[in-house]
Amino acid sequence: MSRKDFSKMLKKILIYLLVLIASVWLVFPLYWAFTTSFKSKVDVFKPLFIPFIQYQPTLDNWINEITLRGDVIMTGLRNSLIAASISALLCTFLGSMAGYALVRFRFRRWSNKDILLWFFSLRFLPPIALALPFFAIFMTLGLIDNVLALIISYTVFFIPFATLVQYDVFRNIPVELEESAMVDGCSRTGAFLRVALPLSAPGIIASFIICFAFAWNEFLFALVLTYKNSITLPIVIAGAEHSQGVDFWYICTRAVIAIMPPVILATLVQRWIIRGLTLGALKR
Amino acid sequence: MRKEEKVKYLFLLPSVALVLSFVIFPLIYSVFLSLTNWQIGRELSFIGLSNYLKIFTDFRVLNSLEFTLKFIALTVPIEAFLALGLALLSQKSFTGNKVFRILCILPFFASPIALSYLGITIFYEEGGPLNNILSLIGVGKIPWISNPTYAFLSVSLLDIWQWTAFLYVIFLAGLESLPKDIYEAAMVDGASGWRLFKSITLPLLLPIITTGVIFKVIESFKVFDLIYALTGGGPGISTESYTMYIYKTGLRFFRMGYAASLSLILLIILSILLMLAMIRLRRVYEV
Repeated sequence: MSRKDFSKMLKKILIYLLVLIASVWLVFPLYWAFTTSFKSKVDVFKPLFIPFIQYQPTLDNWINEITLRGDVIMTGLRNSLIAASISALLCTFLGSMAGYALVRFRFRRWSNKDILLWFFSLRFLPPIALALPFFAIFMTLGLIDNVLALIISYTVFFIPFATLVQYDVFRNIPVELEESAMVDGCSRTGAFLRVALPLSAPGIIASFIICFAFAWNEFLFALVLTYKNSITLPIVIAGAEHSQGVDFWYICTRAVIAIMPPVILATLVQRWIIRGLTLGALKR
Repeated sequence: MRKEEKVKYLFLLPSVALVLSFVIFPLIYSVFLSLTNWQIGRELSFIGLSNYLKIFTDFRVLNSLEFTLKFIALTVPIEAFLALGLALLSQKSFTGNKVFRILCILPFFASPIALSYLGITIFYEEGGPLNNILSLIGVGKIPWISNPTYAFLSVSLLDIWQWTAFLYVIFLAGLESLPKDIYEAAMVDGASGWRLFKSITLPLLLPIITTGVIFKVIESFKVFDLIYALTGGGPGISTESYTMYIYKTGLRFFRMGYAASLSLILLIILSILLMLAMIRLRRVYEV
């Protein structure tokens, strides 16, 4: 083997080694949550990491969790699902309209660039600065502990994100198709709904899923605005009282329930997510 | 007005109006609150700038700002370093590259509060997995949560695990937007490996790295969920972030007026940081 081949092979081995180390680091917390949720109470505190070989996995924790706290968890799941999907839907649709407007029309009083930057800067607004006045406002409106308050908050908070994603997508869709549709008698709204929107499907999926994940994981607003009937899953997790010390097994079952949905969704559409997450603006 | 002129506002206005009414109005209301001594359940009266003056003598403000800045100083450079490494690694060809890219993004989608609770188990001092592994290599029990210094470290570790993904996505997009022909020209000239990285990749990527880092610094000022369960700001108030102090002031002690003034200070700090990032971004990109 020549020296060149040898150093090439070394490089290859080094790459795989680094990938392996990084993967262990990235997966460990999720792996830990998942496997611990199937551990019996005796095994939890022992240094056992490989199911079936080191210890016998059991369904007890999951069965207990469902029989003892199934109601609360269902309430949380239902509210999370409602708040996240409706706000993500609103964000994506309104964001598509705004993104489309910023690509296809010229605004004069404020330039398109200024409006875009305004949307962009909203992404960085600290939630706590809005959480306090929101609490006061929704209290006056009688919407505390109402899913509607969460839907409004999340929609407002994540619209800028959806707008940026869709702006980026529409910018790369040629205008000719819409023009020919409009020559054929289609109105501007018709051209948007029937031609541009379907073409932007990848962006729609990406922004829906990312907004859904943001809303699903959101904690501060849910903590401030709900307390009983409309608590979301993060609040259910945070509200768990522990009978003796720290109940590892329940923490882990709930963590799995909370973490899995957005993670699975993100995996399904990861191709579009990288584009979506780069905030639309990072582009030469 | 031509019809087209009206239609364009129809497209833009819904989101702008919604966001304006639910961001600008609450912020103005917040300014109003910050000038009062409103506590939930009590009469409200104007006290001028007293809240703002009080900030300077409040040791918990100083404490939480100090924590937040130390936290940023420790986590952000490590995250930037790891994210750059992961992004460069993702550009190499190896079996499973696609899966690896997914793994790199996943932490960003993990619920922070669930992660914070998982932290309690992972950093558990008697029989948690981390201390179990460490005891295998002969390290004694480390007080990950009960000792202020270690509590700071555990909170930072969680943040590093989750937020490296955020910078990774930004850096990877940056790397993939770099013009390929420069590399080809440099390779023809015989440059390779480390030199390519040092004299081409790094300088070209630097504006993206700095903007990404400033974005992350802004996000770090908001850190709340990750700390909430793991340490709750403790032991004592050693891991109390600025956002967490605002939360406690407003919604645990119900001193809404004072909390409003604290949150407006945060808004000002973040706006300045954002401005810096924008100037940097504008110089390089046509945004």
